[in-house]
Amino acid sequence: MRPKSDHASGGSAAAAAAYAASQPSEFDSIDPILHLIRFLPYGFLRPPRLRLKLPSSLALPSPMTVFSLVLLTYFAVVSGLVYDVIVEPPGIGSTQDRSTGAVRPVVFLPGRVNGQYIIEGLSSGFMFVLGGVGLILMDLALDRNRARSVRISFASFGISAIVIAYAMSMLFIRIKIPGYLW
Amino acid sequence: MGAKAENGVKPPPLAPSSFPFPFLRTLKLKTKQQELLIRVSALALIYVLAFAVRLFSVLRYESMIHEFDPYFNYRTTLFLTKNGFYEFWNWFDAESWYPLGRIIGGTLFPGLMVTAALIYRALRFLTFAIHIREVCVLTAPFFASNTTLVAYFFGKEIWDAGAGLAAAALIAICPGYISRSVAGSYDNEGVAIFALLLTFYFFVKAVNTGSLAWGLASAFGYFYMVSAWGGYVFIINLVPLYVLVLLITGRYSMRLYVAYNCMYILGMLLAMQIRFVGFQHVQSGEHMAAMGVFFLMQVFYFVDWVKYILHDPKLFHSFLRITLTCSISVGALALGIGMATGYISPWTGRFYSLLDPTYAKDHIPIIASVSEHQPTAWSSFMFDFHILLFLFPAGLYFCFKRLSDATIFIVMYGLTSMYFAGVMVRLILVATPAVCLISAVAVSATIKNLTRLIRTKSKASQTGSSKGTSSLKASAKASLDQALPFQRNAAIALLAGAFYLLSRYAIHCTWVTSEAYSSPSIVLAARGAHGGRVIFDDYREAYFWLRQNTSPDAKVMSWWDYGYQITAMGNRTVIVDNNTWNNTHIATVGRAMSSYEDEAYEIMQSLDVDYVLVVFGGVTGYSSDDINKFLWMVRIGGGVFPVIKEPDYLVNGEYRVDKGAAPKMLNCLMYKLCYYRFGELTTEYGKPTGYDRARGVEIGNKNVKLEYLEEAFTTSNWIVRIYKVKPPKNRW
Repeated sequence: MRPKSDHASGGSAAAAAAYAASQPSEFDSIDPILHLIRFLPYGFLRPPRLRLKLPSSLALPSPMTVFSLVLLTYFAVVSGLVYDVIVEPPGIGSTQDRSTGAVRPVVFLPGRVNGQYIIEGLSSGFMFVLGGVGLILMDLALDRNRARSVRISFASFGISAIVIAYAMSMLFIRIKIPGYLW
Repeated sequence: MGAKAENGVKPPPLAPSSFPFPFLRTLKLKTKQQELLIRVSALALIYVLAFAVRLFSVLRYESMIHEFDPYFNYRTTLFLTKNGFYEFWNWFDAESWYPLGRIIGGTLFPGLMVTAALIYRALRFLTFAIHIREVCVLTAPFFASNTTLVAYFFGKEIWDAGAGLAAAALIAICPGYISRSVAGSYDNEGVAIFALLLTFYFFVKAVNTGSLAWGLASAFGYFYMVSAWGGYVFIINLVPLYVLVLLITGRYSMRLYVAYNCMYILGMLLAMQIRFVGFQHVQSGEHMAAMGVFFLMQVFYFVDWVKYILHDPKLFHSFLRITLTCSISVGALALGIGMATGYISPWTGRFYSLLDPTYAKDHIPIIASVSEHQPTAWSSFMFDFHILLFLFPAGLYFCFKRLSDATIFIVMYGLTSMYFAGVMVRLILVATPAVCLISAVAVSATIKNLTRLIRTKSKASQTGSSKGTSSLKASAKASLDQALPFQRNAAIALLAGAFYLLSRYAIHCTWVTSEAYSSPSIVLAARGAHGGRVIFDDYREAYFWLRQNTSPDAKVMSWWDYGYQITAMGNRTVIVDNNTWNNTHIATVGRAMSSYEDEAYEIMQSLDVDYVLVVFGGVTGYSSDDINKFLWMVRIGGGVFPVIKEPDYLVNGEYRVDKGAAPKMLNCLMYKLCYYRFGELTTEYGKPTGYDRARGVEIGNKNVKLEYLEEAFTTSNWIVRIYKVKPPKNRW
């Protein structure tokens, strides 16, 4: 694979001139731009002696870093972030109790499948991600290279996460859609 | 030398003699054959399941076409089977968008109609004399079954055969897919999802094998997709993005070069055969990414080849600099000239609103008014995916753990399609295959882990029981120590839990299909007072009345939702229909509906309107009627004719139809047509006359008098009302 520094320095002719100036033999180059630049303006200007080095952190991120970013994006999308940005619902709804006149909060937007308040979206999204993380922890628990206590805690965490996530999601959907499944 | 040693030496798979079914013993199948039998029978059952689960509405009502868009597709398919392909391809329809007409041959995607017509011809050839309507109704379930097969092969390509089977099973009943491919929903998406998955599968296969044959197959798959649905833009943008990611991560080789070049060039040439698409692949901004990546790839591979030939690194650096400056400047210049001269058109509103979701709300009310284009809330995701929402992140984790070209592709497909599904509810359909495939990876990997836990324990106990050497016993003990406590029991319990979750998924999918996605929309059903089912067939009653009681050249004005159905079932000319290609024409109709009766009469005279059709839900409580859609008519009309102002129809920002409603609202044409004679009707026990059940209020203007129209027909439940436009009065 080609080293990354070539890509970055390829486009700029001035940097090329500085690079070529530090090389011992400059007459070997077939680069016309280099010869042009050497003549004008660097025929009478003297470029400073810099030590340009690209940061070595330009390497590709590891798969697991990308995966954690992906998980964050998934949480944002599945909690209905786009819906929140466009429709701008309130964070939590409210009804007025008819007899007492007190204002009661309503967490789940009733009546429609495709509608939500911000908080209910975020909590449901959190449950989905928790279930996914539970499955991941269960797989990590089978890794034989870790300590036994770590594996046991991963396994128990993972199983409880899945159970809780599934139970809560079912509860949420039952509250939201009154006729669900019966 | 006894039974004990024999037990220890016997191979792990079950021998035929220990199989519970006696008749299979005679067949003496080897393990490989048993596995193949299980796989093939599972796939056959999944195929039948995918077809059967979509048949709810056919069994409940009858075999009819649902919704609005499928009626247009049905009418064009009918025309195709009657008049042949060339008449269809050059068809100019004078019966819709009066007086403009519509060039149907050049403004539709023919894939669905041609597919249904071919199936019809094939069945007729085999002397099955069925009506084309039956073929149209059952096309979508048939292609859904085919999609499960493609999903199996795709899953096998990404992970292994187990994941393929899981993917096929998940996608067979996933509600996100069922919603647009139920029997009777004769729409482009039913065929397009099959074409999408097929194209992606062929392309991934081409990248994995580097074979020209698979590249060619993917080009033809792309052609089928372009002919079927406007969503092909997703393919032509995802594939270049994937190629770019592969180039960046260094996973490139000759295979990628062959696959992408073959697919892009041939696919582009084939796509230009569809008149509706035309030259968009070289002219439209949405397709420029593919072209850019194509040229980038040529430069990339050229430079790579030169580097391989040149053995002098300094010379190569100079060559690289020259090439890069030249190619970047040429590319930028070409793009700049193209956009400046207008040859390359910018992104159209429909697709631009996917990148910037707030755009449609502010600028294009027609796009914003469609309920399918609303952004997605969490409950829609849960409704359409259920436990796949948990399995998706886990599947992503497994794919990231074992990165290969195929898993990178499915991850990218899943992420991009999930983002678009979050922007628009309708696009959950496009995300469904990716979510099912990635979830299948999670299911397969997890179940494999759990069964491995169960099987290693039993293998250790088997080797422990044999008369092995002491070293064997020591190693068996060591492996036992590293295992988790109660490993085997926990694994069995977790397997039971996984089985429980998957069965809950199946129950959820069946319930959702039965309750939410199997309604034909043209026939309404409700629970009566004693729990019995009441059917409202008013739409078809009205269209049939139109067909039989009006003159053949009568023109019908209605809101654009009903245009396709009126032309298909009523067989009459309409002013505007669901194609919504001419915003000014729709705005004219919207203006007519929201003006006073005399202004509206002038507009109707200019359009030669004979009949006006409105949909009214006040008697039945039907909430998708024209009064609830009225504000959209005002907005769209007001967008073109500033004389229509939305605040005129609202009271304090609130939309009302009762006594406190705005005076313009109480006297506009739509109000009069909907509530004519309604003030005399008692709709609910204990409520005054003129009580609107859909809005829940008593109407404000009960004494509606019509001067220029007269009532022609009202259906039995008052859902559809048709009015005849009176000819202009004589001078005396």
